[in-house]
Amino acid sequence: MSDGRERLARRELLGRLGVGGAVLPFLGNLPSLAHAAAAGPKQRLVIVFSPDGTVRKNFWPAAGSFTALWDSASPAALPPILAPLEPFRDRLLTLKGVCNKIRGDGDGHMRGIGCLLTGVELFPGNIQGGSDTPAGWSSGPSIDQQIRAHLQARPDTATRFGSLEFGVLVPERADTWTRMIYAGPNRPVAPIDDPYRMFARLYGQARDREALSSVLDDVVDDLRAVAAAVPAADRRILEEHAALVRGLETELAAQRAAAAHPVPVLEPGILEDNDRMPQISRMQIELVVAALAADFTRVASLQYTNSVGQARMKWLGVDEGQHDLSHEPNGNEAAQEKLTKINTWYAGEIAHLARRLAETPEPDGSGSLLDHTTILWTNELGEGNSHTRNDIPWVLVGGGLGFTTGRALEFPGVPHNRFLLSLAHAFGVTGLERFGNPDFCADGPLTGLA
Amino acid sequence: MVAAWAERVADQSAAGAPRGLAGRACLAAAFVLPVAVAAGAEPEHPGAAVYRTHCQRCHGVDGTGTAQVPRALVGEQSVAQLARLVDETMPEDDPDAVGPEAARDVAEYVHGAFYSPLARARTRPPRVEIVRLTVRQHRHAVADLVGGFAGELPGLDGERGLEGSYHKGRSFDRAQRVFERIDPLVRFDFGTEGPDPESFEPGRFAIRWAGSVIPPDTGLHEFVVRTEHAVRLYVNQRGDAERPLIDAWVKSGDDTEYRGTTMLLGGRPHGLVLEFSKANQGVDNPAKERPTRATIELLWRRPGGTLETVPQRCLIPREAPPTLVLATPFPPDDRSTGSVRGTDVSPEWLAAVTAAAIETADHVGADVDRLARTRRQADERPRKLREFALAFAERACGGPLDDQARQRLVERPLEGVDADAGLRRSLLAVLSSPRFLFRLGGDEAAEPRAAGQAVAGRLALGLWDSLPDRELREAAARGQLVTPEQVRRQAERMLGDSRGRAKLRDTLVAWLRLDQAEVPEKDPARFPEFTVEVAADLRTSLEIQLDDILWGGPTADFRRLFTDDRLPLNGRLALLYGIDLPPGADFRRTRPDDGHRAGLLTHPYLMSQLAYRGGTSPIHRGVFLVRSVLGNVLRPPPEAIAPLAPDLHPGLSTRQRVELQTSPATCRTCHAAINPLGFSLEAYDAIGRYRPTVTPDGVPVDDNGAYQPRHGPAVAFRGARELGGMVAASDDAAETFVRVMFHGLVQQPLAAFGPDLAAELGRSFREQGYDIRRLAVDIMVVAAAGPPATAAVSSAGAP
Repeated sequence: MSDGRERLARRELLGRLGVGGAVLPFLGNLPSLAHAAAAGPKQRLVIVFSPDGTVRKNFWPAAGSFTALWDSASPAALPPILAPLEPFRDRLLTLKGVCNKIRGDGDGHMRGIGCLLTGVELFPGNIQGGSDTPAGWSSGPSIDQQIRAHLQARPDTATRFGSLEFGVLVPERADTWTRMIYAGPNRPVAPIDDPYRMFARLYGQARDREALSSVLDDVVDDLRAVAAAVPAADRRILEEHAALVRGLETELAAQRAAAAHPVPVLEPGILEDNDRMPQISRMQIELVVAALAADFTRVASLQYTNSVGQARMKWLGVDEGQHDLSHEPNGNEAAQEKLTKINTWYAGEIAHLARRLAETPEPDGSGSLLDHTTILWTNELGEGNSHTRNDIPWVLVGGGLGFTTGRALEFPGVPHNRFLLSLAHAFGVTGLERFGNPDFCADGPLTGLA
Repeated sequence: MVAAWAERVADQSAAGAPRGLAGRACLAAAFVLPVAVAAGAEPEHPGAAVYRTHCQRCHGVDGTGTAQVPRALVGEQSVAQLARLVDETMPEDDPDAVGPEAARDVAEYVHGAFYSPLARARTRPPRVEIVRLTVRQHRHAVADLVGGFAGELPGLDGERGLEGSYHKGRSFDRAQRVFERIDPLVRFDFGTEGPDPESFEPGRFAIRWAGSVIPPDTGLHEFVVRTEHAVRLYVNQRGDAERPLIDAWVKSGDDTEYRGTTMLLGGRPHGLVLEFSKANQGVDNPAKERPTRATIELLWRRPGGTLETVPQRCLIPREAPPTLVLATPFPPDDRSTGSVRGTDVSPEWLAAVTAAAIETADHVGADVDRLARTRRQADERPRKLREFALAFAERACGGPLDDQARQRLVERPLEGVDADAGLRRSLLAVLSSPRFLFRLGGDEAAEPRAAGQAVAGRLALGLWDSLPDRELREAAARGQLVTPEQVRRQAERMLGDSRGRAKLRDTLVAWLRLDQAEVPEKDPARFPEFTVEVAADLRTSLEIQLDDILWGGPTADFRRLFTDDRLPLNGRLALLYGIDLPPGADFRRTRPDDGHRAGLLTHPYLMSQLAYRGGTSPIHRGVFLVRSVLGNVLRPPPEAIAPLAPDLHPGLSTRQRVELQTSPATCRTCHAAINPLGFSLEAYDAIGRYRPTVTPDGVPVDDNGAYQPRHGPAVAFRGARELGGMVAASDDAAETFVRVMFHGLVQQPLAAFGPDLAAELGRSFREQGYDIRRLAVDIMVVAAAGPPATAAVSSAGAP
């Protein structure tokens, strides 16, 4: 699990410090381990999850058109839920008819999130859903982790973290409904939904350097005061110690100069509760953008709540939980309207992320971050009340994968494994012929994306 | 010795005087002599001439050494031992050149002039030095510093095991609880019936085991849970805030074994909670469940150990608050003086200290509201964090801070940033400060409250390798750490605490040189039964025997270490060491080999350590006895020598081979003492089995031994029982042990606390029935008062 992984990483870090004999307890915090000029443009992927299906009539473009051009030459209005993405219509791509066809153990929500990015069955287990047989974790890795492994294996694309898993209000509960990312079979990765914790993970070393630098002068003064009070014969060891501390100060100053890049400022004291969801969302988005800008990672995910998520979006005038609303029949107009508001709110967050990426220039001056980043917004269901995993709402924004944007594509009910393959191939993992359940991969990656 | 020699000189001058004046002359000589010494008119010791003639060319003037013998002529042997040695072996090129009388003279001269500890103490008076925290002290001090804000450690008295609460249904709802009981360990097969078909539905029950685990060692421990059902294990964690060490609440696929590794501090209780649920999780739907078999076992692998069920003796049914166990690795401490001391600083050490400070700040930061007793949204929170920072600084630095120190370590770091960032800076400053990292020598504050705090600090450092707890701090603050009785009461309490027991045990384990020993391995062809499991069990057996001697009775009799004829064995070991026990039996006290056991001296773990892969090693055993047990100084052999191969001398016993190999005069200096001691354990083979008549090579065992004590005549004995008796009655062993204990606890030179202290402690140790616990308390009562003021003052003016 992610925590174990982190704990171990911390220990490894500390371990390296101790045995390595470095004076400083910090690793270099340079923007990237990569050689900037070594390869072509960077490619980045940010997967965003929101739960419980969409409102089909307010999400999909008018029926019957296989390809609807949304570029500025044919300015048909975007469907209501996608309206916040209007400023990015040229960089938008929606995919209809891409279906999660994985069967086996677990209820629709469990298979919805657990097979969404893995394309493979859940293990049998002890988690009983609302229907079907009990299940456990996914039996394979998720596509982002496959891409991560590919990037980390090459020095020109390897980054400090490889991937970062963000969350917003993910319940403190590890089960099939709360995990989307898998490092491998039975290896779910917990998203970090506390922005302060994520901040510490990203900038802890820099923060420690600052804090330490700020106190070392006083520590040295204190050393002098203590040394003056002890017998002369005892001063030697204190003087040696003072010299070492001085050395540490010099090293810290040098490191600070070398590792300078902008650190986002978070508003302090935001509690993790339902009503703070908008603030937490924006804080996490700032951290995503900062992490991409600093090239800490090229693969990220942002998971809003969980499958069966129950966000209560009171700030939109919606008091009911999202999942409860999603079970209402399509004839319940009030529920449909509220669910439309909810999904439009998510679209607004996607638009905000796209805007922040578009505003942020690439460090090497080659355009904006959005030019080389694809945001992939998805969902565990096509529709909440029917629990269908057909017509998963796939929304892509940005230029990271080289797909032709400004389009709404419709496919004839293809397995989503083929789309997952397309993501990997776009990152150059072209040798990958199957991902997840091989029965759904026979036709290879989706055609017509690029 | 100088005094005795002075008497002899006085006697001689008296003998030369007219009879009637004898008495007066005697007095006069006694009175005049010091003046004569001061004036340089002292008659030369007869041994001095012998030394110049025969010894100086190798040993140098005043024994300082030469290019040929590049080391000082110093040691712990008595005049008698030295005399015998010189007579038999010196000078190395012509041992006959110095006869018995000249040997006696030169031994006496050398001993009194520069060889003996006393002589050395005269030339360079030992003093209590400033030291930094050792690694052990650093780890324990940080654990107690932070832990002191979280709650007290549970006591060790009472039943061992974990408290199990058994519930109907699938969760730990109190209303559903059927019963509670103490389970000695977690190893159950509930079948398909469940714990009790009368009270539980077979398909659905949940059990929560809670308490603490007390690991014998410090290090990484791997925990393993085996079960077919949902399980979570927390070790040294806050269940409400952290992910469990093992989280298999989601059962997924065929796995039935789950692992997690965590760092633990030896001897300390660490909270442990194991939650088990025989039911599906997720949506609560009993109709979808079938009765299936339910088993569960909690196992661990100790550092260097093998996988075993976590044993009852390491479990208590009371939960300890989480302890900060630093994962930061530290460079090892200096052990060159025999015991660990923090006398050096290095860049590696500073890097570790800094990383440890950051790790501590991380830990405190993650749990700050609970530690500082506040809430995130509370208005008083900034004030609470400030108070916490100050309390943390004062506890870390051993008492109230003066204004300047408070400014530097608390006030200024808190300035200009939010409360959390300020606290973090203050913690880093405190944990980098010399007031925390170093323990000053003898500077005793005049103010009684500060003096009390110094006493508290020394008690905690000596008995716990840590910082004072609340009771100790309060006693100091109330002025109740003044009289020896008050200090003794605290020392007794502290010794019985888990930390005191751990320190005492670690001191003994270091004395036995088992603290850094690898688990022994044996030649599988000769000892096929000696598996890694057996080796691990033997280590456990030795721990149990030590614990039994230290804590099993009203007193901890030192002599039992050498005379106990019992041996803790379990089913697996019983098979190998000739006792009839059921195969799966847990450890129990047995009396193998018809009583031919001599406490630790014949313990199979020690015997295996002090042996080769394929056979015994009288030299390793002898060196251990001469040096560690009887306290004589041995030099390393002049060159590294491989033992003679048995097949080159097929007719010889091990004893004969060793004698042959160590027969040259250069070897005899030390081996004259080593071999006879080691030979007396020849009846115990390379894995410590008693083989009294014939060795595995078919050669008869000769286990006659001998020892020349520092005072009194040489003694001869045969076999381990007589050896044990000799050691138990030996003043050399008792004196050595007093020194070992003093240096292990106080980690400062014994002589710095006064020239007579060793003898006084030794005398009271013997008079009080050789009680190890009492000795530890006696030592701490003396050491807590600090060194005599003169030691600090006399060096204060030195350059």
